[in-house]
Amino acid sequence: MASVSFAQAVIEGRVALPKSRSAPVVNKRYEIVTKGGVVATNPPLAVVYLEGDFPRPAPAPVVSMAQRDLAFVPLLLPVQAGTKVEFPNLDDTYHDVFSYSAPKRFDLGRYLADEKPVPSQTFDVPGLVTLRCDIHEHMRGLILVLATPHFVVTDPDGHFRLEGLPAGRFTLRAWVDSKTTLAQPVDLQAGSTLKVDFP
Amino acid sequence: MKRAAVLLLWLAGALAPGRAAEDFIDRLDEALTTSAFEGQFRARLSGTLDLEGYAFSSPPPGLIVASGNSLFNPRLTLFLDVQLGGSFYFFLQSRVDRGFDPTNGGLEGRLDEYALRFTPWADGRLNIQVGKFATIVGNWVHRHGSWDNPFVTAPLPYENLTGIWDVAAVRSAATLLRWAHVRPKSFPGGQFADNHFRLPIVWGPDYATGAAVSGELGKFNYAAEVKNGSLSSRPDYWDTDEVRWTHPTYSGRLGYRPDERWSFGLSASGGSYLLPEASPTLAPGRDAGDYREVVIAQDAAYAWHHWQVWAEVYETRFEIPTVGDVTTTAWYLETKYKFTPQFSGAVRWNQQVFGTIADPVGVQGPWGYDTWRIDVAPSYRLTPHAQLKLQYSLQPEHLGLRSYDHLVAAQLTVRF
Repeated sequence: MASVSFAQAVIEGRVALPKSRSAPVVNKRYEIVTKGGVVATNPPLAVVYLEGDFPRPAPAPVVSMAQRDLAFVPLLLPVQAGTKVEFPNLDDTYHDVFSYSAPKRFDLGRYLADEKPVPSQTFDVPGLVTLRCDIHEHMRGLILVLATPHFVVTDPDGHFRLEGLPAGRFTLRAWVDSKTTLAQPVDLQAGSTLKVDFP
Repeated sequence: MKRAAVLLLWLAGALAPGRAAEDFIDRLDEALTTSAFEGQFRARLSGTLDLEGYAFSSPPPGLIVASGNSLFNPRLTLFLDVQLGGSFYFFLQSRVDRGFDPTNGGLEGRLDEYALRFTPWADGRLNIQVGKFATIVGNWVHRHGSWDNPFVTAPLPYENLTGIWDVAAVRSAATLLRWAHVRPKSFPGGQFADNHFRLPIVWGPDYATGAAVSGELGKFNYAAEVKNGSLSSRPDYWDTDEVRWTHPTYSGRLGYRPDERWSFGLSASGGSYLLPEASPTLAPGRDAGDYREVVIAQDAAYAWHHWQVWAEVYETRFEIPTVGDVTTTAWYLETKYKFTPQFSGAVRWNQQVFGTIADPVGVQGPWGYDTWRIDVAPSYRLTPHAQLKLQYSLQPEHLGLRSYDHLVAAQLTVRF
């Protein structure tokens, strides 16, 4: 990695996203009471980030990944290592969020919607953490723990704009799914805007 | 050989530690899910593969049928869930195993459940369901699947056999005491030669055929069903072609849920427990409708953080015109705690007591053996899609063969 010189460089571009996944189906076989029935369809998204060994923020930022309408919101959450993530339950039914992923293993248990403090976990180790609900088997969410503070989630068309970047030579990566992370070298100049596409 | 190799490869993939195992099943899940018409039609094929082993004091307990002291029971369960718009939901469950209850027979395939549910309003005030599906009575049905059940076996009310038969009507107290092995203790052909005639209070999840309505009104919920078999009816007679609509079973449940932690329910059910084959044995002037199983059940559940508790009480009356009503009460208290994200433990205390009847010489005595059973079951989630459960059960032995019956069971489940 080049020496980091803080300036206001910008990268924008587009990531070619995979085709949309099929909409999830809720298992309601043994529910005496069924409410509604169709959960949201979430299009594939990518995370674009500037790779580097940047210092951890102090104090650790706090972000949120809620459970709402039987789904994780947002479905994909990139965070810098050291970030505390809260998991508020915005539904009127229990959830039991857990992860067996190597970077972070935990099981929050069953929390009431208005219970304080809101259950949370601090994510210290970079890597991909898959979240699930022990009660609703269709629920799945992802937290991508990164060593960098410079990341952004694309829009559903794959477009992204990464601002406030330092000048220097880096590797720009696009995380598409657990099997696919694309990379391109970039040379950032202070005050410039670089166009990068990931085909 | 080829199928065994495929199975081994699939198991290896599902049980492999780390990210690879999660990805393997998640990709399979996505491949088995489809949607069309902008998500208005959605279908998902899923399932479980169970490998179960039992070791027990002979003869086998509950609904297990085996000639020796051990049994291996593989089971493949496939589920199809279909959502049509916001109002229609269809589900289907089929299994390949060695019998609905574990037996030492050969592998067989069955269609265990199928039902169509109509939900006209999004707030859940009314649901209408028709098909072949689990009973709405009690609270065990919600966790009877191998992935959700903290134990390998069912609670005592769902599998402990009484002296009531469905293929013949009891004509005298002496007959009932003989069928219950109370007097004499022995039975022609062996102590458990008649097990395939005897009935528990509720036969497992009771996938009988019928229709149900259910809904939620504030903190209260309700459900009612009419089905072609009693709660005690056996799996062979749950299908729609086993029509017993001349004597249907009516069941209902009222539930109260003050908040997400607590759930309370009061259920009632009544219907004939006799099969059509029992007609020649009926008392003169009686029909099968005079031989009813009437059940009042109470259930309660509590869940908070990593702790869950369930309890049920079943008060049951079997009506026998020539003997009078005979009663039995069964209950259990079950708790589960997650010690770590992957390691859980569960304990269940089960008990059943029998009412009394007068024997042929006028002496009052119970018409079955009061019993208890304690079940202990640790479990470990190997991956988000695979878990290993062990169970040890201890129960008094009543026929004088020994002091206690023991059961050790292990169950490996892969969910996809």
